[in-house]
Amino acid sequence: MAKRKNVEIKIIYGVIFLIFLAFLIVPFLRLLNQAFFGEGSFTIQYFKDVIQGVGFLDALKNSLMVSIWSALITTILAFLLAYTIYYTNVPGPWKKIIHGVASLPMLLPTITYGFAIIYSFGKQGLLTRLFGIDVYMYGFPGLTLGYVIYTIPTAFMLIYNTMGYMDKKFSVVSKLMGDHAAASFHIAVLRPLLGTLATAFIQSFFLSFTDFGIPDSVGGKVDTIAGILYEEMLGSIPDFNRGAVIALVMLLPSIISIVVLKWLERYNIRYNKISAVELEKNYVRDGIFMVISGCIMLGILSIFAVIFVVPFVEEWPYRLGFTLDHFTSVLQDPNLLSVFTNSLFVAFCVAVVGVLMSYGAALITARSTLNEKLKSVIEAIALVINTIPGMVLGIAFLLTFSGTSLQGTFLILIVCDVVHYFSTPYLMVKNSLSKMNASWETTAMLMGDSWIKTIIRVVTPNAFSTLLEVFSYYFVNAMVTISAVIFIAGAYTMVITTKIKELQYYNRFNEVFVLSLFILVVNIIAKYLFQWLAKRTSRDSK
Amino acid sequence: MLKLENIKKSYDGTTVLDGINLDIQDGEIVSILGPSGCGKTTLLNLILGITEADSGKIIYNGEDMTNIPMEKRGFNIVFQDYALFPNLNVYKNITYGLKNKPDISTKEEVEDLIDLLGLREHLTKKIEQLSGGQKQRVALARTMVMKPKILLLDEPLSALDGVIKESIKDRIKTIAKEYHLTTIIVTHDPEEALTLSDRVMIVNEGKIAQFGNPDEIIHKPSGEFVEKFILNQLRIKRNNIFTLFGDKKNTTEGKEVRVS
Repeated sequence: MAKRKNVEIKIIYGVIFLIFLAFLIVPFLRLLNQAFFGEGSFTIQYFKDVIQGVGFLDALKNSLMVSIWSALITTILAFLLAYTIYYTNVPGPWKKIIHGVASLPMLLPTITYGFAIIYSFGKQGLLTRLFGIDVYMYGFPGLTLGYVIYTIPTAFMLIYNTMGYMDKKFSVVSKLMGDHAAASFHIAVLRPLLGTLATAFIQSFFLSFTDFGIPDSVGGKVDTIAGILYEEMLGSIPDFNRGAVIALVMLLPSIISIVVLKWLERYNIRYNKISAVELEKNYVRDGIFMVISGCIMLGILSIFAVIFVVPFVEEWPYRLGFTLDHFTSVLQDPNLLSVFTNSLFVAFCVAVVGVLMSYGAALITARSTLNEKLKSVIEAIALVINTIPGMVLGIAFLLTFSGTSLQGTFLILIVCDVVHYFSTPYLMVKNSLSKMNASWETTAMLMGDSWIKTIIRVVTPNAFSTLLEVFSYYFVNAMVTISAVIFIAGAYTMVITTKIKELQYYNRFNEVFVLSLFILVVNIIAKYLFQWLAKRTSRDSK
Repeated sequence: MLKLENIKKSYDGTTVLDGINLDIQDGEIVSILGPSGCGKTTLLNLILGITEADSGKIIYNGEDMTNIPMEKRGFNIVFQDYALFPNLNVYKNITYGLKNKPDISTKEEVEDLIDLLGLREHLTKKIEQLSGGQKQRVALARTMVMKPKILLLDEPLSALDGVIKESIKDRIKTIAKEYHLTTIIVTHDPEEALTLSDRVMIVNEGKIAQFGNPDEIIHKPSGEFVEKFILNQLRIKRNNIFTLFGDKKNTTEGKEVRVS
């Protein structure tokens, strides 16, 4: 009886497992093979070559340093923003603006921020011209600024979510016990938040360390690990063996980060009851935090401003008349237009396939009686994917699928994105499914439903708002990702981000910014549309 | 008639149920009573068909059900937490099974059930708008629409408070009598078991300690366990109530019960 019941689950399991086998495990083994086997025998010669190679250790050091610094800055800024929302009486709309601005960078590819920084601070930059700020941004300053902007949304959301679950009464209790401001801040805010602050730091570090777009655009003469990895694979003298070794080196800090994150989970504090307490009136405090959060937001927005300015003027910075010519020329260029539709097509397919994969996997782990060992395979895959940077996955795909019929197809791009972003959606769905009543399937079966009917009639309607969130997560990320797809997009399967990289080569920055604006607009529409739909469905079912 | 023959079940080497034999007559209300961890929920799951027995047989009206899958046995259950579907309103929950088996209950039968369980005014409500007792009645109605051969109730009263408890008890009795329905209830509360059922089966450590009608259990307890844990609990309860009403005469045997 139990055996028959699990047939559908086993089929889903089989399909998911085969996808991961072909598109995660095999490519990864291929990467290891490339790094350790030369002319048929095991060797560590490639490792030696890379480490002794000119500039490798410097690049590694640069990457580590700049990622650590920007992670530190990001964590502090994100904390200040979240603190302003939860612990001050700044006006409600201001809090909403903070929330919006802090998540804005998510909607653009990192390569765009890099160019935006150059166009803001360069000799002829927007900010330079407006305020006379002239800072040399190529290299460390640009990298740091780029990484901070890139990682602020992630760090902010982490801290913001934990702060929402912190019991604000503790501040009151602490004050009643006679604590001074500093002691009270420590016990009621900092201490419970410590785990999350560390998590935010590590996540920011991981994202910066493995990002490709920012060093590509503002790295200048400073070598980073992402930069030399790209050079080894797609540069003038490609060396796949050395590339594979560098990819493995890039994997190392990622693995360490994830292990530390897992370990940090135990420091998360969960309050049983969250009580909101009216904050005492303190105009000085509110004023200070309004200024601080205002400055941070202005910083983020000023970098973005250039994206809205450059494509609308005739020829930055020499002829500043308003024009829509750049837009019309992009819209009339069939090549660029097809890149745009390619991106939409890929993002849509990624979202659909991604929802199915994460839903299927979560159904297995959260709502089936399948063998625990089989379930733990899925858990392990989700965890492992979290540690694999996009660039490493892209290179593994490049090594594995070059010369096969999959090379240069949309299919490979879609699968790559789905696998790359699998962890978060999987956890989102699993979390939502495991909160549902455990007896639904049994009950529905007694009412004559088959398993699949129960899933359609009961489980899916109740998971719908989460599935929409997952759809939007996959869609937005597929629109902005560059690190993995740069290695596998073919001539006919160019998406916007890979096209931007190509346009950079020809210095066609007007087109770069026009295409970036397209991505931004599409993502804003997608994000708010799905947010609205999710809110509507979750309200309907209540 | 439901017959269990020598049922045995163990998990990871620990025996949960051992040598369970029992007969339940048609239309009878039987409670399975015992402390938590005694195996009563496992027994319920075995009858329902979620769990498979290691050995022994389950026979219903002469037919061997042991290897028949849950959904084909024709038994049904109301879970302790009701498992109502929150995406559907009350009426859609009640008629859920009709989508699959449109002929199992007629329109009138469904309407009768709705009235019998007092759900008429709640039909268009969302599940989360209901109180505990109302949810219990909706779950009961939804199960009854399927015309189960045996109705299983898992701790049907434990999530409810005082007065509601008594009224649900009455509804369960009414339903069982009205439909001549074999009803098996799992509970850990002796008072509940003895006031609700025709016969009570007391389970302890995987074995049947006693199986008899309430009168037999009260007056002829089979052994130390029944005496100590079941009857003693009831006496304490009774004394507390007598004390509350200021009537201290009946502290020992309580033949002359006078509550004024």
